[in-house]
Amino acid sequence: MMQFFRGVVFSVFALLFCLLFPLHLVAAEGQEYIAIRKEGSGNIALVLDKLDAKGRKETKFAQSLDVTMHDGLDFTRLFSLISPPLNVKEHSDRNSVVINFPALTSVGAEVYVGGVVTMKSDTIILDMKVYEAAGSKLLMSKTYSGTEADLRSMAHAFCADLVQLLTGKRSVFGSKIVFISNKTGFKEIYECEFDGYGVRQLTNSKSISMNPVLSPDGRYLAYIDFSSGRPALSIRNLTGGRTAVVGKSAVSIDPGWRNSNEVAATLSFDGNQEIYLVNTDGTISRKVTNSKSINISPTFSPDGSKMAFVSSRNGLPQLFIQDLASGQVNRLTFSGRYNTQPSWSPVSDKIVYTTWEKGGEINIFTINADGSGLTQLTQNCGENKSPSWSPDGEMIVFTSNRQGKEKLYVMSAKGGDGRILLQVDGEQTQPSWSLFR
Amino acid sequence: MKKNIIIVLALMVTAGCSSKSAVTPDEGTSSQPSLSSSSSRPELPASPSGYGFDQWQTGPLGDVFYDYDSATLSTEAQEQLTQNGGWLSSHAAKAALIEGHCDARGTSEYNLALGDRRAASAKEYLVRFGVSPSRIETVSFGEERPFAQGQSEEAWAKNRRAHFVVK
Repeated sequence: MMQFFRGVVFSVFALLFCLLFPLHLVAAEGQEYIAIRKEGSGNIALVLDKLDAKGRKETKFAQSLDVTMHDGLDFTRLFSLISPPLNVKEHSDRNSVVINFPALTSVGAEVYVGGVVTMKSDTIILDMKVYEAAGSKLLMSKTYSGTEADLRSMAHAFCADLVQLLTGKRSVFGSKIVFISNKTGFKEIYECEFDGYGVRQLTNSKSISMNPVLSPDGRYLAYIDFSSGRPALSIRNLTGGRTAVVGKSAVSIDPGWRNSNEVAATLSFDGNQEIYLVNTDGTISRKVTNSKSINISPTFSPDGSKMAFVSSRNGLPQLFIQDLASGQVNRLTFSGRYNTQPSWSPVSDKIVYTTWEKGGEINIFTINADGSGLTQLTQNCGENKSPSWSPDGEMIVFTSNRQGKEKLYVMSAKGGDGRILLQVDGEQTQPSWSLFR
Repeated sequence: MKKNIIIVLALMVTAGCSSKSAVTPDEGTSSQPSLSSSSSRPELPASPSGYGFDQWQTGPLGDVFYDYDSATLSTEAQEQLTQNGGWLSSHAAKAALIEGHCDARGTSEYNLALGDRRAASAKEYLVRFGVSPSRIETVSFGEERPFAQGQSEEAWAKNRRAHFVVK
């Protein structure tokens, strides 16, 4: 800390940097450095240096790792990635690299990341080092290894460690997104990695599939399947087991997991459209709502004690919150005439949902569970639907027709900055981001 | 499959969306939205020779149409259901599947629920008319199987329907 403050006093550059990026790296117990980021503070200013490598193969792998790490860190929206200054590695000899920390602070970098790629027979070894630029302290030194097929996961393993180091939180690396695509002419379920990589088709029912959502432990996929001729809740065991179908009669609508053992969905077999909790084997655990109106789209607080859902009990669809223990229901939304598609943040008391506005736009909003903090995240972009949180609560995946066809986009949970996730044929809808396992 | 997947992490799509000033959400209201009031509902004759009986219907039972965001049976809808009930009464060996459908506006989960209510309201009318509930099944397709394409009130009105399939 003393060193840091001395830097502020004696270095003009460091002073500027502190004004521009009010982020303080402080030592926590156990030699861990966690960035305490003030409300509204900027991103972490980071120099991700080109990886060092000798040899043709090593250089090729290093370039691949460079790109994957850069894109991965950029995806998180947590960093301002600064190009390394030309003189960042001065006085380097054959065996050691000396990092020019004054050059790093002069370009406003808070954190410097560098690494070396070597090979031992067919194993690729990636040695990564993370330094605090102002204090020139080594924050992390870690080795990752694997084969050429593991390059992407090695780069993302480092990205995940870096985010954990600097924010104290887990990140999106390794998470998945399930969604609907009609590219075969039928609405089937697909999955991809958090950044749109590795799209894989999960169903081939040649019918209609809707609202896929992974269980928190990633073992089950719940969705609505029309193969039987009617919309039925299906719970597929992804570890190779059977698929449980909650047939009953009438319809099933929009499942949402309470925990890895219980999924909630609307079932209308008793004449009313009530939300039930269902076990992973398809048996009904219990009925949650009790109202003759439409009750759909259950989504749960992180501890599973409260459920937000859509109900037309007051006329037009609005969001309500029910306490599961007491059964008490409170109306959450009073703004907007048609509020649907709630999704409760996996890490906070925020709920994201959509409002169908008078002009025909559908926009995404967040609101706190106590009804405060209503925030509009999209505007002037057509129909924006089916928002779903990233596992760290930092981002939201959604579908939008802003460029014509419905495609998947990812934006910051604070709004704006919507970037298209993937470009495949057809329309992609109803994305759902997996949770941490 | 992976070849035609282009991962775009560029900023190119961020422009053009949020350039205008913030839109204040509507104050809480329970009134009908302006974009689809019931007054704009087109004429939908329920007679066997009219619309809803020959162009879209696939059997002897005519379709029933609904207002926006409603599962309430209009006079025309009740007349059509009375005709359908008469046919079912005189064909006691036949059963019917009622499919509830919605127009594509709004959100698909809510529309799946709304279609379910439309089918249920048609069934309830027929049961009160005297048809045994065991002869009538209901299902909803929400907005998934529109009968008319297009983004106009004319197309939307054709899609807000209970469709009858004789079994």
